[in-house]
Amino acid sequence: MRITQSMLSTNMLRNLSNSYNKMATLQEQINTGKKITRPSQDPVVAIKGIGYRTDLGKVEQYQRNLGEVNNWLDSSDDALDKVGLALKRVQELVTDAANDTKTPEDRDKIKNEITQIKAQIRDLANTKVGDKYIFSGTKTLSPLYDSNGSILGETGVDGAVNIEVYDGVEIKVNTNGKTMFEDIDKMMENIESSLDSSKVPVATGADIGKYLEDINKNQDSVLGARADIGARQNRVEMMEDRLGAQEIIVTKQLSANEDIDYEKAITEMITQESIHRAALSVGARIIQPSLVDFLR
Amino acid sequence: MGSTFMGLEASKRGLTTQQSALYTTGHNISNANTVGFSRQRVNMQTSLPYPGMGLNAAKVPGFIGTGVEAQSVQRIRDQFIDRQFRQESNKLGYWETKSNAISQMEDILSEPSDFGLNTSLDQFWKSLQDLSTNPENAGARKVVVQRGIAVAESFNYINKQLTDIQGNLKNEIRVSTNDVNSILKQIASINEQIQQIEPNGYMPNDLYDTRDTLLDELTTYFPIELEYSKSGGNALAIAEGTVKVSIKTNSGLVEVVNGKDAVTLKADGLNNDNSFEPFTQFTVEGKGNIKGGTISYSDLDKSKGKLLATIDSYGYTDKSVTTGFYPEMLKNLDDMAAAFAKKFNEIHGGGTDLNGDVGKDFFVSKTGSPISISASTISVDSIFESEPSLLAASSSTGKEEGNGANALLLSKMKFDPLTIGSATNTTVQSFYQSIIGKLGVDGEQANRLAYNSATIKLTVENNRASVSSVSLDEEMTNMITFQQAYNASARMITVIDETLDKIINGMGRVGL
Repeated sequence: MRITQSMLSTNMLRNLSNSYNKMATLQEQINTGKKITRPSQDPVVAIKGIGYRTDLGKVEQYQRNLGEVNNWLDSSDDALDKVGLALKRVQELVTDAANDTKTPEDRDKIKNEITQIKAQIRDLANTKVGDKYIFSGTKTLSPLYDSNGSILGETGVDGAVNIEVYDGVEIKVNTNGKTMFEDIDKMMENIESSLDSSKVPVATGADIGKYLEDINKNQDSVLGARADIGARQNRVEMMEDRLGAQEIIVTKQLSANEDIDYEKAITEMITQESIHRAALSVGARIIQPSLVDFLR
Repeated sequence: MGSTFMGLEASKRGLTTQQSALYTTGHNISNANTVGFSRQRVNMQTSLPYPGMGLNAAKVPGFIGTGVEAQSVQRIRDQFIDRQFRQESNKLGYWETKSNAISQMEDILSEPSDFGLNTSLDQFWKSLQDLSTNPENAGARKVVVQRGIAVAESFNYINKQLTDIQGNLKNEIRVSTNDVNSILKQIASINEQIQQIEPNGYMPNDLYDTRDTLLDELTTYFPIELEYSKSGGNALAIAEGTVKVSIKTNSGLVEVVNGKDAVTLKADGLNNDNSFEPFTQFTVEGKGNIKGGTISYSDLDKSKGKLLATIDSYGYTDKSVTTGFYPEMLKNLDDMAAAFAKKFNEIHGGGTDLNGDVGKDFFVSKTGSPISISASTISVDSIFESEPSLLAASSSTGKEEGNGANALLLSKMKFDPLTIGSATNTTVQSFYQSIIGKLGVDGEQANRLAYNSATIKLTVENNRASVSSVSLDEEMTNMITFQQAYNASARMITVIDETLDKIINGMGRVGL
């Protein structure tokens, strides 16, 4: 084949331009840390990248939702713990009062404390987390008891508040307080009235002692609700672990899918650079001399 | 017996012929870097010997040579390589243009990235999740509305940008058609000049080169077929004559240049504005003895030439179906926006807002008509911006501010099976992934074929250069050859001068 100067220079330009192209791609990879910047460079990587990003977004969101779940469950548990303590005190008071040797003055004192505890339990039923009343079902902006002591009767007060913690997995975060608090409240009112010394006939110790059974029942229902919360907290912990693992997996997949291997990219860059230098120096040597240089 | 001065004449021919070869060498060297130039060679041949043939020719023993003459100056070129080169630049023209159009689309969709449509859908999804956990929170509601607006704007933006590029492509079709027309006219005008020169026995090599360069350029736009016809008169046998250029189509050849006549092509219906009017056909306006006609889309040879690539990208109507690379993407996005808005509104309408009312349409059309929601018209009803309480997050018919069940349903809709355009049982997420995937595959193919045809074209180009381009070393060698031959001819004249000197000054001087 006959080779001419124009062929040499065209080939050299083409080689240099290919070499620059490769270096530009490597430079972009090293600068962005990504194997591809457009779908045509690798369509599979591109669509997988879209999917993994969505997955990662979901995991992050579910983790955020879990924060909210924990908030609800911990607050409910804490409030019910205090209700339990209050009931224990009621139990002590009633046990103390269920005694025919008590003077009306003694009973009045006990009654006063019972009245206070009743108000305290109502306050606990109106526990707020942020701006939400946690025992009002889905009527989260209304307190379970209004200032007159009447209980909320609207629809939704028994509603379940569910939060999604994974695709299709929802956890009920609230505890329905209406029936439970209503029962406790009714009992408290009964105890209060039977301790009323002005009542005719005055209640006997046995009459008051009967309430111990009720107190037990209500303590049981509070404990039941707390056990339920505890069980849900266990579920949430498991979910947290799973999401944590999922986050690592998806991040890894996302990275394996589209991140460059720096060692590899930099090595390639250096290799490409030496090829480029060689191309330049060889080109410079080949292009220059012609017969003209040697003819006198 | 030859004449006294025959030797002088023979050597003089030698001088002039070597001189013309030297001048041609100079011409070659000067044009070593001229695009499209083919090196030229002086075809030397011995001049007619003495005596000439005939009954009353002088009787001498054998022929005596009378020297050399420059018979013709010919450019060195291989028509088969030209043909091959043109086939390849045809393919390269198509794939390079297509690859360019796809790469612009990729730039706009910018996937995978943290600011594409998918990201804005993901953020919208997240805001709905936040709403489902905090339905009573006005802040969460406002975020949903803003993220919804961001989704609508992403659709609007992509649509606008793609439509703008489509407008540029339309302009490109018109400009390219004008380019083609100008090339055709130039070829015809060179044909005309050649027609005037060749009959006088000359070889207009530089005109041939110009014409070939124009033909090379023309083949990037269209696949063509050439046919040469001799000029009459005293034209040399190796003269190339005029060229007849035809565009190769699926329904035969369409003549576009014949002799000094060239047709004008016009892309029908493509007006000078940015609106989309699908390409249908080229009208060929005949001239002189070339008949006019039309070249419809289906006549155009598949995957060949820049113009077809531009048309394929811009959009065309073939057998009353309008399609094309950009129209398809725009339609997919329209379908996606419409299906997305419809489904979202449907679920939203199944819920209740903070006032206990049924959710009204969240996504509406900018044009007002709810049916016409598309990527360009999708928007969020502005009432939600001022009253985010109208978001129907609740699943209960009562006023339950803590009920976020419908917001949860809304958040799931990106992954809900639905029908988008002709794709059934797909989800917004997977539909979007599939259109990006297709874009990627198309782009990959176009890039690969563009690279491959560029490589093949380079090989053919090297083959052509191997035949036709100027080698300075070779020209220098030739220069020395011709110079020495010139010198030797001059020396020959001195020898003859000396022999004549003997006759004229040294003879008949007996006794002087």
